[in-house]
This record gives sequence, structure tokens and C-alpha cells, in this order.
Amino acid sequence: MSTEAPTQRYRVDSHARFRVMDDEGIFVLQDAGEVLVVNEVGAFIVEQLKAERSLDEVVTGITERYAVEAERARSDTTALLDDLLRAGAITRS
Amino acid sequence: MSALSIEFAGCRYRFAGLNPEQADFVRSRFEALLCRDDARPDVQVDVHYSPNPAGFMRRPVGPVEYRAAVEHSEESIAVAGIGFTARVERAPLRAQMQTCLSDEWFLGAFENLFRVVASYRLFGEGALVLHSAAFTDGTRGFLFCGRSGAGKSTLCGLAAELELGILSDELNAVTPSDGSFELRAMPFAGDFGGAPRPHPPYPLTGLLGLSHSAAPLVHGCSKAEGVSRIVASCPYINADSLLVDELTTRAAMLVDRVPLRVLSFAKDTRFWSVLDHEYRSPDATLSR
Repeated sequence: MSTEAPTQRYRVDSHARFRVMDDEGIFVLQDAGEVLVVNEVGAFIVEQLKAERSLDEVVTGITERYAVEAERARSDTTALLDDLLRAGAITRS
Repeated sequence: MSALSIEFAGCRYRFAGLNPEQADFVRSRFEALLCRDDARPDVQVDVHYSPNPAGFMRRPVGPVEYRAAVEHSEESIAVAGIGFTARVERAPLRAQMQTCLSDEWFLGAFENLFRVVASYRLFGEGALVLHSAAFTDGTRGFLFCGRSGAGKSTLCGLAAELELGILSDELNAVTPSDGSFELRAMPFAGDFGGAPRPHPPYPLTGLLGLSHSAAPLVHGCSKAEGVSRIVASCPYINADSLLVDELTTRAAMLVDRVPLRVLSFAKDTRFWSVLDHEYRSPDATLSR
């Protein structure tokens, strides 16, 4: 269970590149020469991070855009952020 | 000291400073691709031999498979492996190699550097160099990208049983050509080896990832997955911060023109009838 503060912000790691393609997102992790694909919601979340939205703001954005409860949006978002942090795709600001 | 020039995929590489033993190893491996004239090379590689092994990565006892270390900076790419170090200057593209090797280990060092140099040269010409297997039925070219263990060499072995022409089970290049793409063999091989020989370019008909299943099947995937599989399969360039954006753009253009599909296959030759059927139409590369 993530204990991230609601005001926590993130950014794409300096060794990673992110691009949206047909709604999905691609991270290129240069140090490893590896690539991650995130789905449409994941791509939306990363775009929100790039716009310097906090965790709370991202969750609010998801509930406004998709038919999903805030609690579910928060748990899914933190799970994705944990994965991206572990992969080195994003870092905490 | 002698110099040898090797040409493939439309580019010529000149290796100068080879001592007689080194030149013999290169000649024996790349005989079919050696140039017989003195035309100006596209890339020059200067080899400097020093018998003192101090300062070089030591050779292990017994056979070993390893990946050369590659580090990128704004001006150059540093490469190091067993018994050699090298600096590849970006512009103009050329390389300096220092090595303490003059025996059969030299060829491994030579090929490790050659892979990097050729990848950069071809990328500079608009190509993508993919860690991949490729074969042809004489008119159509099929490329299968994937990392070690994906089944590239296995597939090449099965394709050889069907008397399909193997280009390489390790590295192949895809070059743009008149709004489409061509498949070009590179003279490097993994488990499915053999001496390199010249190949004409083939139209890139099938662009596929690999997975395993009990029965052969070809299925589509999203553009993002297709692009990601291609970018992940482009060694050296996908770890180069100066080129990775361009690489991703090119991969997207490639997938727009030749959508990437995934071939699931078992260790038998049934995959070919599925592929042959899927890509029989001349328009097959345009559909998902």
C-alpha cells in the first residue's frame, strides 16, 4: 500500500522519454535500452504528471474523465506510479 | 600493417592498421564482403595493436558470451570488451580501436565494434538496425524482432528446414525506400551462424514480434506495442539520449507503413503456412 502524500508530484526521469501513440503511452528507458507501454489511462496519468499535477489532482482528473470512483482511481494510480518509480521511468519531484 | 574494406547494405567500412594475423582473421570471416577496389569508404576504423594486455578487460578461461560495454557522450561513443577499447566519433563517423588481441579472440572484439559502427552508420542513413531474425522466400522479406530467448535462432533453424533464405538471426537493417521499406542483411550471426555473404535488399513484407504457443498464429497489436517492440530491439541507438527521439519517430513511421504483428509458434515448420497465407496478398503489409 502506497503512502504517498496527496500533494506529491512526479516527473519523467531524465533518463527516460515518454510519448503518446494512439492513446497509449511509451516510455523509453535509455539506461536499460528498454521500453514500457502504458494503456490509455496510464498515458493520461503521465500527461498529468508532466503538467505538474499532484497525486490528488491526478486522481481528480481521472474521476472527471473516466467513470470510476475516487478510491479505485487512487489505488490504481498509486499502483501504476509505484511500477513506474521502480522501473526508473518517473521520479518524485 | 594492412587495410581491408568491407561493404554491405550500401555502406563501405575500411579497417586500417591490421597486423597480418588480425587481417587473416577478418579476411577469413568476411571474405565474401571484402571490397576489391580502393574506393573511398563511408567509415574509417583505425586499429592500434599493443600486445600488452594491461588496461584491457581480461579474457576469461574457456568460451564465453558477453556484451560489449557501450557508453554515450555528446561527441563520441565509447566501447569496451574483452581485449579492446574503442572510441567512435559521431561526426564524421569514424572509430579508433585499441586492442591487445591478435589471435582468434580478435575476431570477437572486431565484430563487437563493427556492430556498433555499422548500427550508427546505417542509422545515419535513415535505417533502423534491429536485433532480429530475418529470412526471405526469394521475393518477400520477413523480419522478427525480439531479444535473446525470444526464439529468433529457433525460427531461423525451422526456416532453413523449409529452404527459406536466412539473412541473419542476430542483426538486420530496415531501410526506407520509395515510401516503403527494404530489409537488408547484416553480416553478424548469433547461434545460427555461417559465413556472411552478400544479399540483395528484399521488400519488407512481414514485421513481427515472437511468442511461443502450441499452434501457429499471427495476431495484431497496438501501435504503441509495435513501436515499443521495435525501439526495444534497436541496440546502441535506444540507449543513446541524442538519438532515441529520432529512433522512436522512425519506429512509428515504420509501424504506420508495415504494422507489427506477433507470430506465436511452436518448434515446428507449421508457422510458414500461416505466414505465407497472412502475407500472400501484395497489400498485406497495409492491413492489420
